[in-house]
Amino acid sequence: MGEHKVKKALKRKLRSALLLMLITGILVSGIKLPAKADTPYKTYTVDGYGSVTETQTAYLPYETLTKVGEETLVTPTDFTLVNDEYIYILDSGNARVVVSDMNGELVMTFGEGTLVSPRGIYVSKDRTTYVADRDAGAVFVFDAEGNLTQTYTKPTEAMYGETQEFLPLKVVANASGTLYVVCESNTNGIVQISPVDGGTFLGYFGTNATKATIWTIIWRALLTDAQRAKMQSNIPATPDNMAIDDKGVIYTITRGEHNDTLKRLNIAGVNMIETTEYPDIPAAVAAGNHDNVFVATQTGFIYEYNNEGDLLFMFGGSDDGKQRIGLSTKVEAIQIGLDDKIYLLDSEKAQIQIYEPTEFTAYLHNALYLFSKGRYEESKEPLGKVLEMNNLFTYANMAMGKALYKEGNYEEALRYARIAKDKESYSDAFWEIRNVWLRNNLSLIVMLILGLVILWKVLAFLHRKKQILAGPQAVLTRAGDVKLIKQVRYMFYFVRHPIDGCYGIKKEGRVSVLSANVILVLGAFLYILNKYMCGFLNKTVRDGSYDVLTDIGMILIALVLVVGCNYLMCTINDGEGKLKDIYCSLIYSFSPYVMLMPFIFLLSHAVSNNEIFFVQFGNFCMWVWIAVLVFISIQEINAYTVKETIKIIGLTIFTILIVCLLAFIIYVLWSQVFDFIQSIFGEVVYRIGS
Amino acid sequence: MAHNRRNKVIARILTIVIVTLLQFSGIFADCGFSGTCRTVRAAEEIDGHAYVAESDAYRLYMKEEDLSLVVENKETGAYMESAISYDDGKNNDSWLGAMKSAIVMTMINGNDDTQQADLINDNVNKNITFTDNGFSAELYWTKYQFGLTLEVSITNDGVVANIPDASIHEDGTNYYIGTIALYPYMGNSYLDEKEGYIFVPDGNGALIYLDDKEGRFKSGFSGMIYGGDIGLDESDVTTLLMDRYNTISDAEKVIAPVFGIAHTDDQLAFLGIVEDGEARATIECIPNGVSVDYNRAFAKFILRKTYTQPTSNNSTAGSLHIFEAERSHSDLRVRYMFLSGDDADYSGMASAYRTYLQKEGHLQQADTSYNTRIDFLGEERESFVLGTSSVVMTDTDAIREIYEDLKSEEVTDILSVYKGWQKGGLYSLPIDSFKVSSGIGGAGALLDLMSDCKDQGIDLYLYNNALLINPDEKNATFNVVKKINKRRYEMETYMDVYETLLYLTPQRSEELLNRYIKASSKKGVSNLALAGVSQNLFSYTYREDTYSRFDTQDTYSGLVSEAAGSTELILEQPFAYLWEDTKAFLDMPLYTSSYIFEDESIPFLSLVLKGSLPIYAEYVNFEANKQEFFLKMVESGSYPSFYITKESSAELIYTNSCDIYSSEYSSYKETIAQYNRELSELSHITDGAVIEQHEILEKDLVKVTYSNGTKIYINYGSGEKEADGISIPSMSYEVSR
Repeated sequence: MGEHKVKKALKRKLRSALLLMLITGILVSGIKLPAKADTPYKTYTVDGYGSVTETQTAYLPYETLTKVGEETLVTPTDFTLVNDEYIYILDSGNARVVVSDMNGELVMTFGEGTLVSPRGIYVSKDRTTYVADRDAGAVFVFDAEGNLTQTYTKPTEAMYGETQEFLPLKVVANASGTLYVVCESNTNGIVQISPVDGGTFLGYFGTNATKATIWTIIWRALLTDAQRAKMQSNIPATPDNMAIDDKGVIYTITRGEHNDTLKRLNIAGVNMIETTEYPDIPAAVAAGNHDNVFVATQTGFIYEYNNEGDLLFMFGGSDDGKQRIGLSTKVEAIQIGLDDKIYLLDSEKAQIQIYEPTEFTAYLHNALYLFSKGRYEESKEPLGKVLEMNNLFTYANMAMGKALYKEGNYEEALRYARIAKDKESYSDAFWEIRNVWLRNNLSLIVMLILGLVILWKVLAFLHRKKQILAGPQAVLTRAGDVKLIKQVRYMFYFVRHPIDGCYGIKKEGRVSVLSANVILVLGAFLYILNKYMCGFLNKTVRDGSYDVLTDIGMILIALVLVVGCNYLMCTINDGEGKLKDIYCSLIYSFSPYVMLMPFIFLLSHAVSNNEIFFVQFGNFCMWVWIAVLVFISIQEINAYTVKETIKIIGLTIFTILIVCLLAFIIYVLWSQVFDFIQSIFGEVVYRIGS
Repeated sequence: MAHNRRNKVIARILTIVIVTLLQFSGIFADCGFSGTCRTVRAAEEIDGHAYVAESDAYRLYMKEEDLSLVVENKETGAYMESAISYDDGKNNDSWLGAMKSAIVMTMINGNDDTQQADLINDNVNKNITFTDNGFSAELYWTKYQFGLTLEVSITNDGVVANIPDASIHEDGTNYYIGTIALYPYMGNSYLDEKEGYIFVPDGNGALIYLDDKEGRFKSGFSGMIYGGDIGLDESDVTTLLMDRYNTISDAEKVIAPVFGIAHTDDQLAFLGIVEDGEARATIECIPNGVSVDYNRAFAKFILRKTYTQPTSNNSTAGSLHIFEAERSHSDLRVRYMFLSGDDADYSGMASAYRTYLQKEGHLQQADTSYNTRIDFLGEERESFVLGTSSVVMTDTDAIREIYEDLKSEEVTDILSVYKGWQKGGLYSLPIDSFKVSSGIGGAGALLDLMSDCKDQGIDLYLYNNALLINPDEKNATFNVVKKINKRRYEMETYMDVYETLLYLTPQRSEELLNRYIKASSKKGVSNLALAGVSQNLFSYTYREDTYSRFDTQDTYSGLVSEAAGSTELILEQPFAYLWEDTKAFLDMPLYTSSYIFEDESIPFLSLVLKGSLPIYAEYVNFEANKQEFFLKMVESGSYPSFYITKESSAELIYTNSCDIYSSEYSSYKETIAQYNRELSELSHITDGAVIEQHEILEKDLVKVTYSNGTKIYINYGSGEKEADGISIPSMSYEVSR
């Protein structure tokens, strides 16, 4: 409490001092204050479908710290903010620590003579400084006055590994003084050292897992030992940087780890988040004040995530000689101030760029905070502000959907959840809405069904007495006698009696190519209908995107490949089937799709996640049925044994792959030849022309 | 520093002595070559520059060796030089040549376009003829076999340097002129020897102070006047976000061909106006520490450029690096308007430029009365099964309702631009007939709305981008712009519905626009908001012919003035050469491109135009810091602009306008009313007046003085500030009359 008060008082003092300086118009020595300016970089966010979209500027360039007092920095590689009072900068080029106040005035320097090639710094709240020095092979600890108090060198414990070098790059410490050290070329993980007995090695922490894809496993099985030795060894990656938050949670970043690039490790070293959007060359990570996390890339992009790893913002950029404010050349470290300002250290520019959050971001942070604390009702206000400024901001839409759901406003919740593509909330809201609807309409539905049954009975009765339905019946019978309709209707017989069905196709001419085409068109239509118009929870494509021509093309290509390759394989394997028979039987094997899809489609509109099983089960049954029919029809049309059929299916798949490969090779070759001819022609034309 | 100064003084004296001696020997030579032999007034000279001529206020001196100039204020004796007078000894011959010569060229020799030609390092035949108010120098570079004539004359407001197009001749086959920089060190200063700043025409305007930059910057400002050229690809390295997204916004375009330097300690300044050849020139404003330690600002004319000619459609297959066969043709003329005393600052530059524009007839007095600009988006398209389906955001009834609603908030002075009114929606381009989207209510409803608006005094303009064509909607096989390398120019939208848009050739734009104007005026519609052609210039090829930016400029200015004759025309972010034909300036940038070397952003263009042309700022919608943006409008005397839809902008998510993430009327109603209240009152106070003085009193505190005596103080800081006995709260403004 006391400390808190002091901090507050100090902060107030600092603010008034700053104010005074601004009023008197004195330009603070180390800080360059930029002109009131627009941001030269755009800010992006990601929607529920993973598409990147532009949004409002989230952070504005605020100030640039180029010097500390009169001291210039040489390739600084790390820094730490302490209570928004001091900035501890690791001036690596000069092998020292430079301490600055928030105005860029020099407080002190220390570490000269001790440090050799320092790479990482961490300063605790009580201003104990930990410096990771790679070439000295040690972590140095300094007290608040800058006196060296402790040196941790390579752990002597056998568990550390005798041949393992100790090359500390980055260091953080938790409240009890336990060190976490990232070491170069130590793939076991983060080295955890307790301050007990002048440094006790506790073990490795947060080791990255090695990943073996199916392909590497297959490859390895195929390769000889010598070849395997030449392959890049599959060892886990060393984390590149880390950060610790007030609760002692460690954040690590490791390049090349895809979804595990950013990790949030609890005390046990278990990762608690997974990110779908991650940077390729992460340089540094920092914990924010609202359970949010920031990752800076070496190229100058800053990513902000919420506590679940959902991406909120990406912004910033690489300078590339453009010389515009807020762009970076080589980022080494990132820190977040208590007032949510972002501090970004650029080693090549030897400066700290400070960004301040905009109004928009401030509302979002407020909402993040309230929402994570479960104060949904309160979070609605800042969320509303955020959405007013950006109707399409996914995180806000999602949170708003959840908040409204909690409130019982299901219709609105449904709308927000759909924009955010939050299927879970959508399903919940949908369930509630459907529930209400059912409750209100159940009696009506029952009555309707009853009415229909009675109507049917009455009609049947009347028909028996007076033959009133004779006319329509005759029309139906006549229509059923039309050859094409008869042929199409044959599918109902086919799906139930595939063996007889195939006989009918092969010997009796019960179907025609035309009727098969009709089924094909019906199937394609249903496929497209289901793909784009099915219930939201079952949808696999983005709302609002349509690519029907490609779909039709894909269906046709697949059909030609399967039928063609199958025919080719059958003819050279003593199959009896003619091309027409193979085509028709294959198409008719897909009849269950045409028959069941309309029901699955309708069902998809009526289910929530709780009953989505029915849709999936329906789909599963349908496909199994189709597979059985395909198998039987290949067997029957060609008069194969089961064994031969399996062989033919394998061969067909193989042939399809070969055909695709050939097509690809031919395409590449011809495009090369074509390009070559065109280049020669082009060059001749321009040479002659000029 | 003192040491430097002393060195400099000694150097100056030495130069004077040497040059005087040279001058005397030169008299005879001079008479021998030129027809009109004049007495050289050796007695009056500055830094080895001999007296040439004078006007009412200024004297002109010139040094024959490098044709460098000194312009002296007759009254105060303060002067500016076009060549460095102090050499810090760090510069090689090539740099020294550039620092002293009146003309510095880069040449194209095969693939190399970096070689320099100047008047010091090269053998140049000079034939100097003196005139009543200056001189004319015929120059010929014997080695490179090209030449030109430089004419310099002094006027009452300064100096004009001119290179007539006809005088430029290239006789050789090895060397061609690439660029010509005219008096690149005019008004130069060494490190922080002078107090003052360079005025940079970036965005609305920016200043670079003449303090010691300590070598922090690797380059200075270099901006193509009237924006970049899509016809000639600029190679540009950009690190992309996720290897796909360019996060860096385009730099602001140079809207007016001006630059300047002010030496506030000498109370002497100049404003450079590129009068001719500006459509293919860059403005360079370079602070000390960039290569050399001198501050400089100048115009560089481009005559020829190298470009990459791909020889196949596959970009990796092969390409040639070649240069333009024909140079661009135009006189190259820069007017240096000198300003003294209280006028020697950027406010003075702005006034001088305004007076100049008015005198030359490039700026007419328009109706500058206050309006809140409320633009509407009518119809957009989203993908649907085999084509697109319509998304109606604001129909005519909705607009009527919004106007009614605003009336109750006392917002009555309104100017509106209706976008996406045409059949097929916003991106159904080009518009060559008067076919109205049925979604917004059809032609009848739109005409009714327009006539009602007229009755209520609301100006409703129909938006027409005459530059773009949408190849997915219209036949774009012919009449579209190809780059100089004969490849079609495709503008990527990075959106899902229409992925690319193309540029129409200027002739085609003109033809289609005229067709539209004819069709619309038949219906009695005369309000036209024109975009695209007002804010782009490019060189291009069509059929077998190559067209330069000057050709495009000619066609566009013809097209615009014709349109201005037959319609009520307003232009979107128009370049300076179109200002005479517009009734309003839409989308005025209020910021700069935020270069790290810029120290201050100033509303230069607003200072020039305020009182002559109503200025509408960019849309408020997309500003993250609304209050700061509001104050920027107060400072620059701009009127607010809103982009409004009746429906929620979430409806736009699957359209090409998905970047409009906030536009719903209900979200903006209060802001509109509030801005309208404050800014219309302000505008009422300053009605008809021009901005006389704009001062940065201290960091974050600005004072704007109008010609009617109104003073506005704007405080961007986080604390209360005081000026002239008035206290201004944080992030606020105060008016004093």
